[in-house]
This record gives sequence, structure tokens and C-alpha cells, in this order.
Amino acid sequence: MMRHLPVAVTGLGCLCAAGATLPDCMATLFAGRRQPKAPTLFTTGHAVTYPVFEAPLAEPESAELLRTSRLALVAAAEALADAGWTADALRGRRVGVCLGTTVGSTTSDEGFCRELRAGRHPDLAPMKRILKSNPARSLAREFGFSGPCQTIVNACSSGTDAVGQGAAWIRAGLCDLVLAGGADELGRVTYNGFTSLMITDESPVKPFDKNRRGLNLGEGAGILVLESEALRRERSKAACGFVLGYGSACDAHHLTAPHPEGLGLKRALAEALQCSGLTADELAFVNAHGTGTPDNDRVESRVLSEVLPQVPFLSTKGYTGHTLGAAGGIEAVFTLACLEQGRIPANVGFSEPDPELPATPVREVTAVSGQAALSESLAFGGNNAVLVLGKGES
Amino acid sequence: MKLDIAISGIGVVGGFGCGRQALASALRSGKSPRSKASFMTPDGPAELPAYLADTAQLERFVPKRELRRIDHFSRMAMLGSFLALEDGGMLDADRSRLGVVIATGYGATRTTFSFLDSVISGGDALASPTHFSSSVHNAAAAHTSILLKATGPSLTVSQFEMSVPSALLTACLWLEEERVDAVLFGGVDECGELLHYCWQRFIPGTGADQPMCPLDFEHQSAVAGEGAAFLLLTRAAGAAAPYGRICQVQQGNVVGGALELPGDAVLFLGADGHRECGAAYREFSGAASLSAYTPLYGSLPVGPAFDLAVAALSCREDQLFPAPCGGSRSLGTQPEALAGRSICCLKFGTEGDFGLIRVEK
Repeated sequence: MMRHLPVAVTGLGCLCAAGATLPDCMATLFAGRRQPKAPTLFTTGHAVTYPVFEAPLAEPESAELLRTSRLALVAAAEALADAGWTADALRGRRVGVCLGTTVGSTTSDEGFCRELRAGRHPDLAPMKRILKSNPARSLAREFGFSGPCQTIVNACSSGTDAVGQGAAWIRAGLCDLVLAGGADELGRVTYNGFTSLMITDESPVKPFDKNRRGLNLGEGAGILVLESEALRRERSKAACGFVLGYGSACDAHHLTAPHPEGLGLKRALAEALQCSGLTADELAFVNAHGTGTPDNDRVESRVLSEVLPQVPFLSTKGYTGHTLGAAGGIEAVFTLACLEQGRIPANVGFSEPDPELPATPVREVTAVSGQAALSESLAFGGNNAVLVLGKGES
Repeated sequence: MKLDIAISGIGVVGGFGCGRQALASALRSGKSPRSKASFMTPDGPAELPAYLADTAQLERFVPKRELRRIDHFSRMAMLGSFLALEDGGMLDADRSRLGVVIATGYGATRTTFSFLDSVISGGDALASPTHFSSSVHNAAAAHTSILLKATGPSLTVSQFEMSVPSALLTACLWLEEERVDAVLFGGVDECGELLHYCWQRFIPGTGADQPMCPLDFEHQSAVAGEGAAFLLLTRAAGAAAPYGRICQVQQGNVVGGALELPGDAVLFLGADGHRECGAAYREFSGAASLSAYTPLYGSLPVGPAFDLAVAALSCREDQLFPAPCGGSRSLGTQPEALAGRSICCLKFGTEGDFGLIRVEK
């Protein structure tokens, strides 16, 4: 395994239930506010209402693109502006897009299928919209980028994987700049799907708490601008962070449940640390996956207590809900913003320690010191992905 | 970016049959059997010609009872994976440093449709958890990793027609960065009721069982296909590469991105009989040597994975297979010596996207 050269992050953008911009989100997190509520974007036929975290997407509804792509476009525009780039200024550069998603890659539409099942020929507009809405392609089209384009569909680790892969493109010299992160929308398919698996909580999500009963779904997008050193030198741009390492591994154990000992997560952590050249005592904190499901939090707590016993950790999903393919992007953005501020928010929703969990998250806003932190994701399919992120220069 | 990735094994299943030999036979004969795909429409039952894959041979590798809850999409991927490992002599090897990278244009469309069906027919409360968990795009990679005990990284990419070049870029980088010792790389897509219905709606009048003529760029002749094409990839590092080496993977857009084609290369065009995409390939119709093998496996987003398998077989046999579709400047009806030339698999997507994979013996 090779030691990775750091890849600079020069811009950040985020849109989720915690806020319409990254500064709004961070203000929400440090104020300890959250607003899960009954879905308004769609109707449901369940006897119980499971709360969700809807993003404040101000942009008007578009008939042309799925909501996932529109969420990604908003976050990407913020990230590019933060990096000091316009689409025009990037013409002629080798710019790639690497995005994670789940719903954004759908190839089916419930309304379309309902019409068909009812014996009517459905309007083709929903299928045309799907064919135009590949998330990575949507960003490349909007900003006029002509480099590599990749939509990663690794379920809930997609966003983390996308940042790791995007950094690899920079290291390999394939791109001068990469937009990397994740985006996902709320919808009936995931709402019904996760409910059918009986892993959603009918009250606000409680990551790592004794009384946790499952996740709340969320939506949003988190985008990082990754930039080559050569391009950064051209414009003397300070980095707001660095991707120092990335690791991923498969449990090869079960389609929907994590390995009980977290074997894949341990391997992903080991790889990420090894290629960053850092050790556990150099980490300021861990932004855990922390979905609030009994299985996920048990495994994560065990692994963190064993591998990183002195490192404070939290889950930010209490503020955002589980944003699926967007989660890795959003949480990488939060991790860098927290490193910058030298503090992490409280793990909202946690109040009662679970005696089964050997490690517990921070309960209040906590000052942290250190130059690096981890953001980790676990996913359906047994995927585990970990980013080592470094503090910026400003 | 210069690459040196060895292709060490091939595993394919599609309309032509199952395994390397079946593909080679189809390449020699220029023929691949077609089936009829039946589906319901509001106007009644309908049929379309299609190249369909049979996964019965998976039971050679996996006990039948373990396959009960695994859908057709994942079965195709698993069969391709096992065949590639077997072909590469790695069926019994340690797989702790084996990565899995899968490309899919549409994912498990049948299972997604079944999940929606469970909601439509039974209501929200009766949504099927089994269909939901199997409908995620990475289900095939997950099943493959679980059955193979492949504990390296696993990644699934969905970029419609660009899925294969995009995912292959990742597979090659994993090897270049020494994250893994080998990668099981493949493309998989399936036919199904929803796809056939949409096909008929988007391209009316395609029900006739006519030959595919992908190099006749003005003529709509696409026939739907499904299947899986997997390759076992390793770092070449000077070692023997019986199926040749991948030396370039480029993904970009013709607007602002230069397509880097070596002058003497043989072109395997990903043209698959869709008139709408034909225009993008037209400028290459004057190339000295070109072919399109899509009439052997059909039209599907991950077609370039099959072209890559054909390129690998060509390297192994040091010859180019006859073009199954004719065409003014294409390869002839007899095999032709590869003669040191590289093979470029070129695929165009919508809006000027392209993917280029160059293979050398």
C-alpha cells in the first residue's frame, strides 16, 4: 500500500436539513438544533409517521432534473464559489466529477409504474428525466466540465468513496480539479424500503443511545473542491483542508447487516491511517457513521473503542438524518469545518449510555485539538469507507 | 495516463452463451442466438427480440439453495465473476486483497420494479424488504464479495453508457496505487419488463427481428441485450499477460476534451444500432480497421465490457475476429492478424461523452 500525497480541498458546499449553506449548517450544529418532521415532499400510507429531515431547496421545481441532481448543483455552486472558481474560469482545465448517490441513480419511477400497472400508457417524461439526471453528469453538464465523470452507487458509503476516488484522480494526474462528494433526495422508495426493513425510528434519531430504535431519513448534498498542487500554486490559493488518506473494505458477510466484529471497518480504518501516514494519537476526532440503528452503532462503538480508544467521536446524523449516498459528502464537509473551528458539536439525540456499547459519543460542544480527523461510512453490501481529513492552511 | 494492467482471466455470459469458449465460438461464426422477450403492455402481451443470458451454470460454483434469494442481475454478475476467477486460475486463491469493481448502467431493474410492485399492489406497509435490499445498485457486488469472501474494497459505478470506462479507471487506479493485488472488474445489465416497455415506447417499430447493423449509422437496428462481462485484472509489472494489457483508459467529453486515439489502432466501436448515437461514430467510419461486435451481445449500457473481453480474446489469439456486421471499411469476414497493433474500444454516450479503453498484446 502506498503512502498518499495530501490532496488539497479548496472549497466546500453543503445543503441539508441543517441549513441551506455550510455556514448555516454549522450554526445549526453548534446550536444543537434539529427539526425532524413528518414528510411534506411525499405522502405515505403507514399507520405511523416516521420523521424525516428535508433540505431547504429554494430552487423552483424543475421538470428536467431529479431532485438529487438539483441538490448537488446547489452544493456544488457553493463549493466552487468558496474555492474562488467560476465555471468560465475552469474552461480548458481537466475537471472531473465524482459523486456518490443511491436514489439519484434510480432507473424507475413509481408514478410511471403505477400507470403501467393500471393499464394506461404513462407519460414518458419521468423516464426522460431519469435518463438526464445522472448526478455526476448533471454537474459536468451544468458547469461545462469535460473530464472523468463517475457516479458511485455504493449505498450509504457512496459519498465517502467518491471523495476518496476523486482524490485518487488528482494524485494520478488525471485532473486539475475534481468536484467530489455525495447527493441524495428523500422519496417514497427509500422511505418505504427502510421502513420495511424495520430500521427506522418513529421518534427523532438517537445515535449511540441506549434507546435508539433506528434511523431517520434525510436528504442533501455535500461537495468538496479537490485541487492539484500545480493549480493551487498558479493562483496561490490556501487550502481549507486536505484529503490525507482513504481506505475501504468489504465485510463479505451479509447484504444488509455489518460484520458483528466490524472486520471490514477495521481494515478500512487501517488502510486510511496507513496511507495518510498518521497514527491514532494524531486524530482530533471521528465523525462516525452513527445511524442510530442498533446494529450499526453497536459495531461502530466496538471498533472505535478498540482501535481509537482515546479519540472523541460523534454522529452528525441527529442533525441531518441519514442522507444515504450524500452522507459521506456532507460529513466530510462537516469534518473539515469542525477542524477549522477547533470544536465539534454535541452528538444530538444521545442521552443515555448503552451498557452494551463500550464507547460513547460527545454529549456537548467539545473543543478539539489536532490537525486531522476521520469521517467514516458503513453501507449495505458490507461496504466500509474511511477518510482521513487534514486541517486547512487558513 | 499510461497504464500497465494485465488481463488475467475472462468470465462472460450473454446471448451468445456462457464462458470464454462460447464467446469465441460466436466471434468465429459471427452469430449469436436471439430470444424473444415477452412483456405486458396496456394493449396486451408483446414481444421484442433480445439477447438474453442464462445463468444455469452458476450452480457449478454455488449450491442451488444459496441462490434462492439472489436475483437474475446478481446471478449474472456472480457467474461472470466465478468464470473470470476460474479462467485466471484464482478460484482457490486467497481473496483478502481482491477488489471488486462493477459497472452497471441501470442496476437491478427487475427487482426495483418488483419492489415498486409490492408497494403498488399491497400498499406502503407491505413493501418488500427482500426486494428493497436487493434493488440497491451494489447488491451484485455485495453478493459477489460475500460468496467469494473477497474482503478488499468493493465499488459499483452507474454512469449509463459510460459506466464501464469510468469504473475501469477506478479498478486500474486501485492496482496502480497497490490498494489490492487483483481486481475482479465487470459490467452487468439486465433486460426486463420495464426496460422492454420503455424500449418500445421510445423507439416505436423496433419489434421486427431484423439483423443489427451498428456500422450503418443511419439505420435504427438495435436489439436489447443483457449479460455480464468480467475480467480478472492484475498489475502487469513485466509478467506474462496472456490476454493482453490495458494501457489506457480515457473518459471525457468531446466538447473541451481531446480524444487521444493512436493512429494505427484497431477500433472496436461501441455502436449498437441506435441511430441517435450513430452520428458520434460516423467520423471514425473511415478508419483502416474497425469493427463492432454488438450484434453478438446486443445493446446494453455496459457493452464496452464485452468489447474489452473481445479485445482480450483477440490478444490471446493474436488475431482479430471477423466483424459480425460488415460495413464498408470494417474488418473482413475472415480472421486477421493483430500484427502488433493496439485495440481501442470506443464508446460514445449522450451529449458528447466518450470512453476509450486501449488494449495491447
